[in-house]
Amino acid sequence: MAEALPGGIVVEGLRKRYGHGDTAVDALRGVDMRVAPGEVVGLVGPSGSGKTTLLKCLGAVIEPTAGRMTIGDRLTYDGRWKIRDLRALRRDLIGFVFQAPYLIPFLDVTDNVALLPMLAGVPNAETRRRALELLHALQVSHRAKAMPSQLSGGEQQRVAIARGLVNRPPVILADEPTAPLDSERALAVIRILNAMAAQFQTAIIVVTHDEKIIPTFRRIYHIRDGVTHEEAGEGRLPPPA
Amino acid sequence: MTRRPLPRSWFVAAALLPLVLLLAYVALRAGPLAPVEVTVAPVRSSALAPALFGIGTVEARHRHRIGPTLAGRLASVEVDVGDAVARGQVVARLDPLDLDDRIRAAASAIDRLRAERLQAQSRARTARSQADRFETLRQRQLVAEDAAQARREDAAAAEASLAALAAEQARLQAELDALRSQRQNLALVSPIDGLVISRLADAGTPLVAGQAALDIMATDGAWVHARFDQATAIGLARGLPAEVTLRSAPGTVLPARVARIEPVADAVTEELLAKIAFEPSLATPPPIGELAQVTVRLAALPATQVIDNASIFHGEGKTGVWRIVDGDLAWTPVELGRTDLDGGVQVLEGLAEGDSVVLHAAGPLRPGGKVTVVDHLAGRQP
Amino acid sequence: MISLAGRDILHAWGKFVFTGVGLGLLIGVTLTMAGVYRGMVDDARVLLDNSGADLWVVQQDTLGPYAEPSSIADDAWRSVRLLPGVAEAANISYLTMQVAHDGRDFRALVTGIADGGPGTPGWPLRLVAGRHLTRGHYEVVADEASGLSLGDRVRIRRIDYRVVGLTRRMVSSGGDPMLFVAFRDAQQAQFQKDNDALLAQRRRTAQDPAFDRPGAYGLRDAVIASQASSHQANAVLVRVEAGTAPAELAERIRRWTHLGVHDRTQMDAILVGKLIATSSRQIGMFLVILAVVSAAVVAFIIYTLTMGKVREIAVLKLIGTRDRTIAGMILQQAIALGLIGFAVGKIVATFWGPHFPKYVLLLPQDALAGLGAVVVICTLSSLVAIHAALKVDPAEAIGG
Repeated sequence: MAEALPGGIVVEGLRKRYGHGDTAVDALRGVDMRVAPGEVVGLVGPSGSGKTTLLKCLGAVIEPTAGRMTIGDRLTYDGRWKIRDLRALRRDLIGFVFQAPYLIPFLDVTDNVALLPMLAGVPNAETRRRALELLHALQVSHRAKAMPSQLSGGEQQRVAIARGLVNRPPVILADEPTAPLDSERALAVIRILNAMAAQFQTAIIVVTHDEKIIPTFRRIYHIRDGVTHEEAGEGRLPPPA
Repeated sequence: MTRRPLPRSWFVAAALLPLVLLLAYVALRAGPLAPVEVTVAPVRSSALAPALFGIGTVEARHRHRIGPTLAGRLASVEVDVGDAVARGQVVARLDPLDLDDRIRAAASAIDRLRAERLQAQSRARTARSQADRFETLRQRQLVAEDAAQARREDAAAAEASLAALAAEQARLQAELDALRSQRQNLALVSPIDGLVISRLADAGTPLVAGQAALDIMATDGAWVHARFDQATAIGLARGLPAEVTLRSAPGTVLPARVARIEPVADAVTEELLAKIAFEPSLATPPPIGELAQVTVRLAALPATQVIDNASIFHGEGKTGVWRIVDGDLAWTPVELGRTDLDGGVQVLEGLAEGDSVVLHAAGPLRPGGKVTVVDHLAGRQP
Repeated sequence: MISLAGRDILHAWGKFVFTGVGLGLLIGVTLTMAGVYRGMVDDARVLLDNSGADLWVVQQDTLGPYAEPSSIADDAWRSVRLLPGVAEAANISYLTMQVAHDGRDFRALVTGIADGGPGTPGWPLRLVAGRHLTRGHYEVVADEASGLSLGDRVRIRRIDYRVVGLTRRMVSSGGDPMLFVAFRDAQQAQFQKDNDALLAQRRRTAQDPAFDRPGAYGLRDAVIASQASSHQANAVLVRVEAGTAPAELAERIRRWTHLGVHDRTQMDAILVGKLIATSSRQIGMFLVILAVVSAAVVAFIIYTLTMGKVREIAVLKLIGTRDRTIAGMILQQAIALGLIGFAVGKIVATFWGPHFPKYVLLLPQDALAGLGAVVVICTLSSLVAIHAALKVDPAEAIGG
């Protein structure tokens, strides 16, 4: 696993309706998106616009009502799920980076990052090496043996990002990854994401409203009332200080 | 935070280790799988000094029950319980009742009889002189033979009744003497120097002949009537020294001697009976009927192998001991001899001096069973 | 490969061990209750073992001498002794009574043992201190459970006895300590009335004119003396000669002496089946209830522990952890908790058992059964927790 597959993310006409009849709410009304392998795009919109719903659909956490989704060249949904084991889908194809770190409190930093590959059977030595590499890139390798409760919010977030990246999935879904970080660190995160994307041809969607990083995207999807508009971004990523 | 020197798992394992060890200990040492704890004692060579133990009651050697020989009524009791009395001392007096009247009656009967005798005497004299006169007349043939015969018979009759009256007087006199001597016996006297131990009747009580009014005992006349189990009274003999402990004075040991073994034992309770006399006699005799414990010391026996009776067990129909041979139990039947009062028992056959035998055991013993030898089993020693 | 269960335990080991100890105390109580039950049955068995008898000769048609009062003449043993097949026969008397020592009062089974020395039926089989009786009167061998020490004086019915020896585990079927005294002393204790009753009886006899005739001097005293004595025993203990069948000898004794006879099997049935049946059923029921309650508590604890990890479980599910990995974590934790609890329970039961007023017998088979039960209960209760865990929605991990 973890070889980047051609294809990136392709979403066509995705709809999601919550509820039935009179109380039904259409969160997504035909969303189209394309993210190429190696691209980092932003997904911006006010709250209630459906961006979380879109992320959940892409992440195979909830089931859409209609539309098509292709992830890393695999058709995952075309009216119904194409893959039976959604958990395997998530494990193999998608890396998650959440708003809150959600680290497993009883595993140390390195184990938190290395958890998934180890559960999947990747040899310990290889996983640990990859984990430490990522931790180093995110500037938290000095905390490799600490427990999550001993880290600051920013450090925890960086560890969470490392966790999302360790399997080298073809797609990464990031939900407000820089919210708890300062601008220096936030830009560092974006740099890493870009570096990962470039190195492994990962397609990355970053849901955000953080002003510090919006200028860094080359393409931005605005979502409002369940529909997306594509827009060009500034693509301005300053080099590290 | 700096790196911890040891992984946390070691720390927790160290905390859990005592738990695991305790569990192992509990499984192996406590409960039915554990070896039996015992104490041991060596077989020793010793000359046992056996002793016999019996219980008994204090009795009076001789109990003199003082009472009247004829029915009467007690007029007074001169002594009370606990009084010392001397030989010949009057201890009680009976009421003469109607005795004086009867004496007077007897005397007046004699008087009346004496008067009758005088009367009879004169009648006899008269009849005799008549008879003599008629005899003289008969010889002169002035009266018939029958008349003279009749007068002779009259005279004989009158003399006979005079004799009868004399005898009657003698009888009445004897009765009077008897009543008088009874009057003498109204005083009950003590036959010995001693102590009054009970007062059975008070003044005014009528007594039948033979009923006792007082109990008197010699001052040194208390001894212990003791009972010994027949099965264990080997060697009980007259003259052996003994120790008596009275129930009311458990700390005091009184020296004594076996005075007599009763020829008649108690077949129902299977006991030998013996009398144990205090030697020296006690100044104040102990209360009659008080319970006493008697220990008779026998002569020491020749030395033999001796063990304590706690070492004696029963197995396979025989009596024996458990020897410790090379750390294991070995059942050894033994032949036992005499015992002493401290639990020592002679071993006549089966053991040698220095053999180690089990004395106390905390659980059942089996041949070849596992045992742990300890110093003592039950907490505190006295 | 890391063990999620192991890491979780290591991380919160204090809470885990604390829970394990609490669980362990509950398991310990259940194991102890089983031990109380076994102890009751053992009390009854040990009473039969300690008598050293193969047959019990009692009053005809009674279940004596332990379950029912039995009274026979104290010279009946002689007729029994003469029958072929009898190796030894000895009188025995039993009386449960309150005994005074040092200001306190306790219940004991006063046992009158016939003369004959150690090894006679009825004599204590072994001592843990001191010696056997040597004097025919006023000495006692007491069981440790009485709290007496060598040299103590104990008062039984007006007479003071000196403790010369101690035994262990020589108790009545009710767990009361046995006090061994000479048979004659026990006869006196059993049948002698207290002073007031004796005086009242003497008064009644004295007032009866039949005994007070002037011509028959001493008759009244003789009658009074005979009323104060007794020649009864409760049973005769018989040892069978090697090579004789106890049942056969029992029948012979019944036929020739017209007394009741019970062999070991019958006495066992009488004591365990009748005498302690109700108490043991009571304890048995309580044991079942306790076990059910313990199971429920274990299940509840494991469920609660799991539910406290809902967030982590959701995250694990979201990032793609397999169901069976999550289930395995919960199951391993449940069993680890159960094992710690069992270890703690077995250890505390072993250490507090001897301090109970009655005998607590902890058998290895009970402990193993308990271990098996704990593992099964933990497994089953973890299933409930696993079921709940698997229903957790991973979507909860993605917030607004």
